[in-house]
Amino acid sequence: MSQPETGKQPAPEPLRIGVFICHCGLNIAGTVDIKELVEYSKTIPDVVYVKENRYTCADPGQDEIRKGIKEYKLNRVVVAACSPRMHEATFRRTVSEAGLNPFLFEMANIREFSSWCHPSTPKEATERAKDAIRMAVAKARLLMPLQTIEVPVTNKALVIGGGIAGMNAALDLAEMGFKVYLLEKSESIGGHMAALDKTFPTLDCSICIEGPKMVDVGRHPNIQIIANADLLKVDGYVGNFKVKIRRNPRYVMADKCTGCGECKDVCPIEFPNEWDMNLGTRKAISVPFDQAVPLIYTINKDYCIECYKCVDACGAREAINFEQKPEEIDIEVGAIIVATGYDVYLPYDMPLLGYGKYPNVITSMEFERLILAAGPTGGRVIRQSDGQKPHSVAFIQCVGSRDKNKYPYCSNYCCMYTLKHVVQLKEKYKEDIEVYVFYMDIRSPGKGYEEFYDRAREKGVNFIRGRVSRIDEDPKTHNLILHSEDENLGVPIEIEAEMVVLATASIPKKGSDELARILNLTRGADGFFMESHPKLKPMDAPTDGIFFAGACQGLKDIPYSVSQGSGAASRAATVISKPTWKIEPIVSVIDESKCRNVTAKCGICADKCPYQAIKVEPNKPAQVITASCHGCGTCVAECPQDAITQMHFTDAQIMAQIRAALEKDPEDKILAFLCNWCSYAGADLAGTSRFEYPPSIRAIRVMCSGRVDRDFILEALRLGAGMVLVGACHLPYDCHYISGNYKMKARTDALKGMLEKLGMSPERFRVEYVSAAEGVHYAELIREIDAQMHALGKEKIKAENAKLKPIIENMLKRKKQ
Amino acid sequence: MPLKTVKKDTADTLTLEWILHVKNYKLTLDKARCAGCQICSLACPKEAIKVEKQPKAQGEKAKKAKVDIDLAKCNFCGICDITCPYGAIKLTLNGSHDLSVLAKESYPELVRDIKVDTRQCPKECDDCAEACPLGLITVSKIGFGGKPVQNLTALTPSERSRVQINLAIQKEYCPTCRVCEYKCAPGAIKVRKFMEGKISIDQSKCPEGCTDCLDICPITGALFLSADGKVQVNELFCDYCGACKVVCPVDEALTLKRTRILHTPVHSGAWNKALERLTSPVDAVKELKATGSKKAREAVCKRFVFEEVIR
Ligand SMILES: Cc1cc2nc3c(=O)[nH]c(=O)nc-3n(C[C@H](O)[C@H](O)[C@H](O)COP(=O)(O)OP(=O)(O)OC[C@H]3O[C@@H](n4cnc5c(N)ncnc54)[C@H](O)[C@@H]3O)c2cc1C
Ligand code: SF4
Ligand code: SF4
Repeated sequence: MSQPETGKQPAPEPLRIGVFICHCGLNIAGTVDIKELVEYSKTIPDVVYVKENRYTCADPGQDEIRKGIKEYKLNRVVVAACSPRMHEATFRRTVSEAGLNPFLFEMANIREFSSWCHPSTPKEATERAKDAIRMAVAKARLLMPLQTIEVPVTNKALVIGGGIAGMNAALDLAEMGFKVYLLEKSESIGGHMAALDKTFPTLDCSICIEGPKMVDVGRHPNIQIIANADLLKVDGYVGNFKVKIRRNPRYVMADKCTGCGECKDVCPIEFPNEWDMNLGTRKAISVPFDQAVPLIYTINKDYCIECYKCVDACGAREAINFEQKPEEIDIEVGAIIVATGYDVYLPYDMPLLGYGKYPNVITSMEFERLILAAGPTGGRVIRQSDGQKPHSVAFIQCVGSRDKNKYPYCSNYCCMYTLKHVVQLKEKYKEDIEVYVFYMDIRSPGKGYEEFYDRAREKGVNFIRGRVSRIDEDPKTHNLILHSEDENLGVPIEIEAEMVVLATASIPKKGSDELARILNLTRGADGFFMESHPKLKPMDAPTDGIFFAGACQGLKDIPYSVSQGSGAASRAATVISKPTWKIEPIVSVIDESKCRNVTAKCGICADKCPYQAIKVEPNKPAQVITASCHGCGTCVAECPQDAITQMHFTDAQIMAQIRAALEKDPEDKILAFLCNWCSYAGADLAGTSRFEYPPSIRAIRVMCSGRVDRDFILEALRLGAGMVLVGACHLPYDCHYISGNYKMKARTDALKGMLEKLGMSPERFRVEYVSAAEGVHYAELIREIDAQMHALGKEKIKAENAKLKPIIENMLKRKKQ
Repeated sequence: MPLKTVKKDTADTLTLEWILHVKNYKLTLDKARCAGCQICSLACPKEAIKVEKQPKAQGEKAKKAKVDIDLAKCNFCGICDITCPYGAIKLTLNGSHDLSVLAKESYPELVRDIKVDTRQCPKECDDCAEACPLGLITVSKIGFGGKPVQNLTALTPSERSRVQINLAIQKEYCPTCRVCEYKCAPGAIKVRKFMEGKISIDQSKCPEGCTDCLDICPITGALFLSADGKVQVNELFCDYCGACKVVCPVDEALTLKRTRILHTPVHSGAWNKALERLTSPVDAVKELKATGSKKAREAVCKRFVFEEVIR
């Protein structure tokens, strides 16, 4: 892997900077005085060529840049035009076409940040644009050529979780020709779907449609199932994950077991079968269900009495080995798909519903096992109390779901499976059964789902809108009395039913926290895994090379889980189909000679990095795992030794921008540090929406608010800035770099306290959270800060600064270059 | 209904239950029959049973040890039920006492070899019923015509000669102590002990005035007090259950060893291990040799690292 070069000064050749100023038709030229900008730019030291264009991004405009580079031997290019979020990539390509390293290019945003947001003050808009160009040139002087980093890619994938989502992901990747490891915690793949009876809305038998898929997975030459196993450790980075797995002993050897089941017949011991929701039992040596894949028997040593009858039955096949030990497996993959599904909530802690207390109250998942022909009752829906078929069954929706005290979210598919259950009951027992459904809302927004709801209504099911507040049991008959309110009629009602089925919430899979730790994933407030972007990257984890499929990322039904499985497979293929993976070189680099961990115990950087991209070993300099670094720059800001540099956003470059911004009348200026993904984008939106705000602001773009060093703020105040603003993504989940905003907050909270103690007015340093959608908020914010600045008055600001300056200078001494 | 696991401890019984939607496993310990002997805890393959000595106050009689079963460890196999010499534990599945470990020959049945020849019984005798320390024998007399006879003396000699004697023994609770056999003068009962062994007391080690073992021994006459106030053993009646050993306050005073157990033939690792714990590895090997189970014998020898003692 090629390491980016450390923060040395650029090559000693004399600087030759070209500035290209864009009219953007009248978008810029209509407000900003381009002539003045051109003349001004010519006066900036090191600028050797200035050119204006009507449309710089159009072909002729790009040609001008290429021509300029060649003819004037430009070694730095500044384009003053729209937002870098719009065309930075375009112009980087342009300059590299002319033979200049693309990172020797910088943009000055004079459209969104000038002409569009200050239309009624053209003079000030022009001033702001001039400053923007000066700041860009200041940064450009210090730019260094960077090479895109390439890492080799292992063309294999790991899928964690063999439910319907994970199976589909594995099959798709295998069909594309990739080797896939399918890691499954339990004895068989199949997930929840293998335990269901029928599936809505078509009522096809679940295992009949899933079984053949399971067999396909088991037989596919490109898929290796590692079942009955746990994920222990994952090291590495996109394209190069090193995975450690522990396969737990079955005490039956996979290669010898033929799956005949003769051992099961002689085994005397039974234990509750979790697969059956513990309604029935399985043998101490058994498979959880007949269609299990891989079809290998397992001895449960917790219950086995070691009579060895199974050994006798197995005979010459000699598949049983009581000495089998756990086995560690090391694999290498380029991408990982997480498809670990969900768990079902068991409402023991809702005593008013009597689950676990009254024998005839069950959950929907238990109902699935009861009505399933291969289930413990052979498909007879019977009551525990007397083994009889009930004549009336009440279904209760949203048990635990949509409940502020339990799980505030909607579990997505409970309405639909209850409709399935009631249709099944009605079709099986006809007039012989009365069915009630207590619901809050029936949600049936899928294809064919509303029609399915109609089908249930036509069967004469009683739908009652209302939450059941309490269930009592008749101790003699074990019938249940439900107390509720019929919200449609507005009257309290009481219904007696012989059986109650609770549609309980689906909840994050047990062990998700452990998995999140191993894979460095984040989880939302509801406990499900967080995707990188809820709309545009719904299958990507924030860590590159890791993707999600199925219910683990948010509850979804089978069709949706299947599509997401295929989607995740194609996302993973974008990584593992390449021989190498390119990484933007704006990563962090540690100057080993400055790192204090060599002599003392430090490791602050590793602690603060949201991606665990820094390795710290005692008495050695900290090391950045370049391929894992996302380039937020949080570590750079945190390092007490200033030993870390973020390429393309170096301390020196940002300091130069600060100084350029505050060259004239600093007391009248608001200096802002805006994070690329939220607050800068929000400011852009204020511009595109033509929300006007005072032109006193000067903004510096950083990738993440986590990059904002304490020293930047101190330097700004030392130079006399009127106001300082740090813009960040909203807490808690908006940060593009998982938690850079939190790290920034902790840092600036402390700084704020200190500055206030030193006598600075608190409103002069603000941290604000602005999303990419909050253009209005941004404009209002700047208006407010500007007003505060005027209220304080130049004199007061100057006086405060005079007091602060010597102290800050003392603090920044080590920074003096 | 979700799985319910229940444990109830009352003055008379200890009950453990797995209540599943379609099945019910129930284990009941009858505290009156339990001697606190430890056999169950030795036999249990899951080490789920603890037998705890009960504290006694100064001057009080010793109390038999208390049996406790761990609900989390118990797998309802019923091995304790089968092995209990006093039949104090019962396992049922859906109310029925058919044990799967027996049906699948994963564990043997104890052989309670009791032979009764009532033809030899004197018509007026019910000594055995009186002698049985556990009250398991009922003697009934049936007159001509099948009517039970209340008063023998009221019958004529010819009627008396036609009276039939019926002996009902509750075998499942019988520890085969042989007391009845010895008390039966005409020799109408023959009992074979299902546990053989050796018991002795070193009276010199007994604390002054201690009769703890005697206090709890369920078999009247197996232990007795000699003139010097020390407890003596009558090995004839001892069933080798070891309840005495559990309560004995001094380590070396009482030695008890089981050497053989009479059982139906099985080929089972679970039984081999139980046998080893109930007797001793050496005795288990002896037995395994007798039954010709070579592989199992080697396994025991390997585990205990001794040469096969008896070839
Ligand atoms: C009562 C009920 C009825 C339903 N009926 C229907 C229906 O009729 N139609 C429909 O479309 N949907 C139905 N659903 C929803 C359906 O179950 C889900 O949409 C589907 O199962 C989601 O699939 P999945 O692969 O994401 O998760 P799962 O099915 O939960 O599979 C996850 C797999 O990952 C494994 N795993 C978990 N953690 C790990 C780990 N750390 N390491 C390795 N492996 C791990 C699990 O063992 C499991 O095999 C129903 C749900 C319920 C509760
Ligand atoms: S050894 Fe265990 S698994 Fe095998 S038959 Fe006996 S109890 Fe069942
Ligand atoms: S903190 Fe950010 S910049 Fe530093 S190593 Fe981690 S990802 Fe890279």
